[in-house]
Amino acid sequence: MDKSTLQRLPPLKRTWWLKHRFFKLYMVREATVLPLVFFILCLLAGMISLLQGPDSWQGWVAFMGAPIVLLLNLLALIASLFHAATFFVLFPRVMPLRIAGRSLPDQAIVAGQWAGVLVVALLFLWLFGRA
Amino acid sequence: MNVNKPSVSQHDAHRRQAYDEPLWWGLFSAGGVCFAVIMPAVILFIAVLLPLGLLPAEALSYERASGLLFSIPGLLFIGAAVCLPLFHAAHRLRHGLFDLSLGNDTLNKKVMYGLAALLSLLALGMVVAGMLN
Repeated sequence: MDKSTLQRLPPLKRTWWLKHRFFKLYMVREATVLPLVFFILCLLAGMISLLQGPDSWQGWVAFMGAPIVLLLNLLALIASLFHAATFFVLFPRVMPLRIAGRSLPDQAIVAGQWAGVLVVALLFLWLFGRA
Repeated sequence: MNVNKPSVSQHDAHRRQAYDEPLWWGLFSAGGVCFAVIMPAVILFIAVLLPLGLLPAEALSYERASGLLFSIPGLLFIGAAVCLPLFHAAHRLRHGLFDLSLGNDTLNKKVMYGLAALLSLLALGMVVAGMLN
């Protein structure tokens, strides 16, 4: 439904989404981008400090270790995993895959995407796990 | 005639508004894939393990971090870990504001996608600046 159609319907109260578990979950998923934006702003600050020099970079690493910053970024990590969990189950519904005439089970497509997350994590371990 | 005119122009405005939606939706989807597949590892290593001192001392030293970021792979990394997730977030925030009836969508849309574009250009610009240094 496009927004011009919605505007002709009686307006919803701002609290409409509190009335059902499904809508609350939807709003939580929408809110996962808030800690993500915080992390990205941290990353941009890190890039600025990297351009400024070694002292500035050390200062940024110390800033990232401040309890409140660490806590918000842990929230961003949880949010990314929650987003992934809700996002991966959509793939087989939006684009069911067929191989040699047989449709791939939904669980296989979801597992394949989690394998992707693992591969990226292993790539980071290879990059940063050794000095 | 006078009655018809505004409704016709309104109709055109809606058509124009809908015309660019595939672009925002495409960026939102691509950003969603990045958010789900790469961001968990990015956040874990850079924002959790690094500040807790759980990475080897030289893993992200100033020299190593500059070398990795200020390169073509670094530019691609910023595209996937900053730019696309920013457009994903902008789309979700725009629709979140609409769901909560906050502000008006025409303005929210410009502010959200505008900020995402501005910060993306800033991030990519910084990588290029670092490469030229």
